[in-house]
Amino acid sequence: MKILVTAKRVTDPNAKLVIDDDGSWIDDDVEYILNPFCENAVECALQLAADHDAETIAVGIGDEEVQRYIRQGALARGIDRGIHVEADEQELDSDLIAKILKALVEKESPDLVVLGKQAVDGDSNQVGQLLAEMLGWPQATFASDVKIEGDEVIVTREVDGGLEKLAVTLPAVITADLRLNDPRYASLAGIMKAKRKPLEELELDDLDLDGEEPKVRVVKLHEPTGRSAGVFVADVDELILKLTTEARVL
Amino acid sequence: MDLFNPTEEHLALREMVRDFVEKEVDPQAEHHDREESFNIELFRKVGALGLLGITVDERWGGAGMDATAAVIVHEELSAADPGFCLAFLAHSMLFVNNLSVNGNDEQRARLLPDVCSGKKIGGMCMSEPGAGTDVLGMRTTAVQDGEDWILNGAKMWITNGAVSDTELGDVFLVYANTGGTGGKSLSLFLVEKGMAGFRLGQKIKGKLGVRASTTAELVFDNVRVPACNVVGTQGNAVRSMMRNLEIERLTLAAMSLGIARRSVEVMIRYANERQAFGQPLNRFGQIQRHIAESYAEYMAGRCYVYNTAQNLALDSFGNRTDSDGVKLYCSTMGKNVADRAIQVLGGYGYVAEYQVERLWRDAKLLEIGGGTNEAHQKNMTRDLVGRTILR
Repeated sequence: MKILVTAKRVTDPNAKLVIDDDGSWIDDDVEYILNPFCENAVECALQLAADHDAETIAVGIGDEEVQRYIRQGALARGIDRGIHVEADEQELDSDLIAKILKALVEKESPDLVVLGKQAVDGDSNQVGQLLAEMLGWPQATFASDVKIEGDEVIVTREVDGGLEKLAVTLPAVITADLRLNDPRYASLAGIMKAKRKPLEELELDDLDLDGEEPKVRVVKLHEPTGRSAGVFVADVDELILKLTTEARVL
Repeated sequence: MDLFNPTEEHLALREMVRDFVEKEVDPQAEHHDREESFNIELFRKVGALGLLGITVDERWGGAGMDATAAVIVHEELSAADPGFCLAFLAHSMLFVNNLSVNGNDEQRARLLPDVCSGKKIGGMCMSEPGAGTDVLGMRTTAVQDGEDWILNGAKMWITNGAVSDTELGDVFLVYANTGGTGGKSLSLFLVEKGMAGFRLGQKIKGKLGVRASTTAELVFDNVRVPACNVVGTQGNAVRSMMRNLEIERLTLAAMSLGIARRSVEVMIRYANERQAFGQPLNRFGQIQRHIAESYAEYMAGRCYVYNTAQNLALDSFGNRTDSDGVKLYCSTMGKNVADRAIQVLGGYGYVAEYQVERLWRDAKLLEIGGGTNEAHQKNMTRDLVGRTILR
């Protein structure tokens, strides 16, 4: 059995982001972490691999810095090997990332692809679904429990009003929710071993995706506009007046 | 990569420990300080991460990393809980690293896997009720009886000597006088829980700081120790002691770095949020002085510690001037920085919630334990007296 898992680098949610002067992107001198949902995906892959004797592969897409997050976020925790696809993060959208993953699935033929349900930077929540569509595979998103039984994966999903249980046939795409598991810490032995594990470097050209364009482009980034201070009103009449003439919501 | 994280593995180690500290160590620290108790479950989790045998060869269940890695772990753990960190240090440096460097392969194979995993908890016994800095004045004796040795005496201030109010730690490296004079009078023995005559004298209570580590008096009453538990050769323990004291002092200095760093972080945050006279505290020159001087002193100590770590080989000695020097400087620096943090926070600094009063209490230990500042001053001056030109 073979499991492909994503290891995406995201800006640390606690870091202060600074937007470039021209509003084109963020200043990349900022702390990054492994996407927390990808940590759940990695943990899921490791647990399934332990029970079902699977080979595990972690994929990261972006510039060379991404390799550190593949090694220390995934390989140091126990994932067997890594693949880094070199790409300019400003030239990527969910669609193109799904295409890259599809090409890797065709190259590696995994039985299961596990992704974080979304990345906490863009919060798009699209790649797993797009990948399943492109591959024509069944998908089970927002997994809070995953079990493999024969040629099926039994996935519990947290939905409004309760739990939904799905049985999807392999091969399949799963996206991980936070409550799926408690990601392990990389052990010291794992950190030392990670250096020696194979990490394949690919370019878009190697996947026949050279020249492929994203469908969505970032036009401009700007800080949220500041909120003006609140005011006290004397009575309901004044409130209605302000809501009508100033806030223009009535 | 830089002086503080010389390789990708060092950086990954720091990030892993910092993550662990934030989730597992910080939340429990205040409780174990107040209760004056050792968190053995947390200690075993640290073992599962592979940190207890950080400097030990992989053959014996360790990670095979260097002095810089040991410094990183101590700095990070101590930022949250210096008391717990001291228990970690007494185990992983004073026992585990000591045996790894000074023991033979039979002893390593027999004991290191269990102490690297955290199954057994270890410590080191040097000080006595009547002898501390004056180490050759120790009165614990070991007398040969056939193949065995008979130990008599008492050891004091032994970190990890007890794991609870009544229960002994598992295994100890004990220095004892085996006759002869001066530097050739000391030998080193492995003493294990369960040996007849080896018992807990008392668990020391009412400590000012580092209360999450246990401190005990241990008693040796005709303890029969087999020849296979002699570490090194008879009369040669001063050499073993010197090898291990350097990493001990370096990692104690790293504990002060952790205390200083957290104190600076707390100061910066508070001075930004707290308003006085209509503006944040950090607009006031008196507060700026506390913050800026603390940061500069922390960074000076940090550079000294990491530079010394880079040059410290675990299996030799010869760095005494600087392994004493880092502790001499950092212990007082950590105490002063914690003190300024309390001053910046005012009344809030004086209570447990903001942590700095605990760091201040913990910081004081480092001017005493593992060598008093006066011992460092004596050693360093003795080393420096012939070096009239420093390169």
